[in-house]
Amino acid sequence: MDNFLAQMAVVLFLIALGFVAGSVAERRHLALLGKRERDNGPFLVTQLKSFPAYTENELAPQMVVGEVVIASDYFKTFLASMRRIFGGEVRSFHSLLGRARREATQRVIEQSRELGYNAICNLRIETADVGGSTTNKKGAAMVAIIASATAYQYQSPSS
Amino acid sequence: MIVTNTETIAGYHISEIKGLVQGNTVRAKHAGRDIAAGFKNLIGGELKGYTELLTESRRQALERMLAQAEQLGANAIVNVRFTTSAVTAGAAELYAYGTAVVAEPGA
Repeated sequence: MDNFLAQMAVVLFLIALGFVAGSVAERRHLALLGKRERDNGPFLVTQLKSFPAYTENELAPQMVVGEVVIASDYFKTFLASMRRIFGGEVRSFHSLLGRARREATQRVIEQSRELGYNAICNLRIETADVGGSTTNKKGAAMVAIIASATAYQYQSPSS
Repeated sequence: MIVTNTETIAGYHISEIKGLVQGNTVRAKHAGRDIAAGFKNLIGGELKGYTELLTESRRQALERMLAQAEQLGANAIVNVRFTTSAVTAGAAELYAYGTAVVAEPGA
C-alpha cells in the first residue's frame, strides 16, 4: 500500500512539474515567436511554386532549410493519454505542433534575411521522425519539423 | 552551385538536364543525448540535441547530393525534396533528392 502511494505521489509530482514548467516554457516560446514574427518586416512568404514579383539582381535564388524538435511535457502527455481512453481532439498536442511549425518557418525566414533576401517561395513544411518516436511506443512524445523554401529578392509593387 | 526547391530558377534558364541526384544519411546521437531528451520530456521545450542531429543529417545528405551533381557536371540543382524515416529508435534517416541541371543567367 505504501509503495502504491509513493508511486502515485511521484506521478502527481511529475504532472505538476510538467504543468508548471511546461506552461512557462510554452508561454515564453509563444511570446518570443510573436516578437520575432513582428520583426520580420515586409517579408514575402508564399508556398507558390514560382517566384512572385521577382526582380533582376546579383543574388541567385537559394534554398534555405530550418528544423526544430520540440518535446512535449509530462502534463501534456498525460492529458493525451486520457484522451486516448475517451477519444476526441487532443488539444494539448495541437499547440505543440503549431509552435514547432511556426518556429521552423521563422528559422527559414531569419536565415533568408541574414543572407540578404526579402522573400521566400515554395515553402514546404514536413514532419520528421527522430528518435523513432512514432515507431517506438515507449518513445518520448516530440515533434520534429523540417521547413524548406527558396529565398529570392523581390520588389514590392507598393513601394 | 545554385540549389532551389522550385522547378525553375528566377533570372536563369535551364539549358541542360543532367538527371536525378540524391544523398542520404542515417545518424544517431549518443545515449547521453537520449537521456537528456527523456528529462526534457517532463518539462517541455526544445530538444536542442535532436535539432542538431537533424541539422547535421541534412547538411551531410545535401553534401552528398552536391558531390553527385558536381560529378555530372551540373551547376545547379532544382526541385530539391527531403524525406525522413525512422530506421530504429534513436536514429533518423534523412534523404535529399533533386534534379541536377545546367543553368545559365538570363531568361
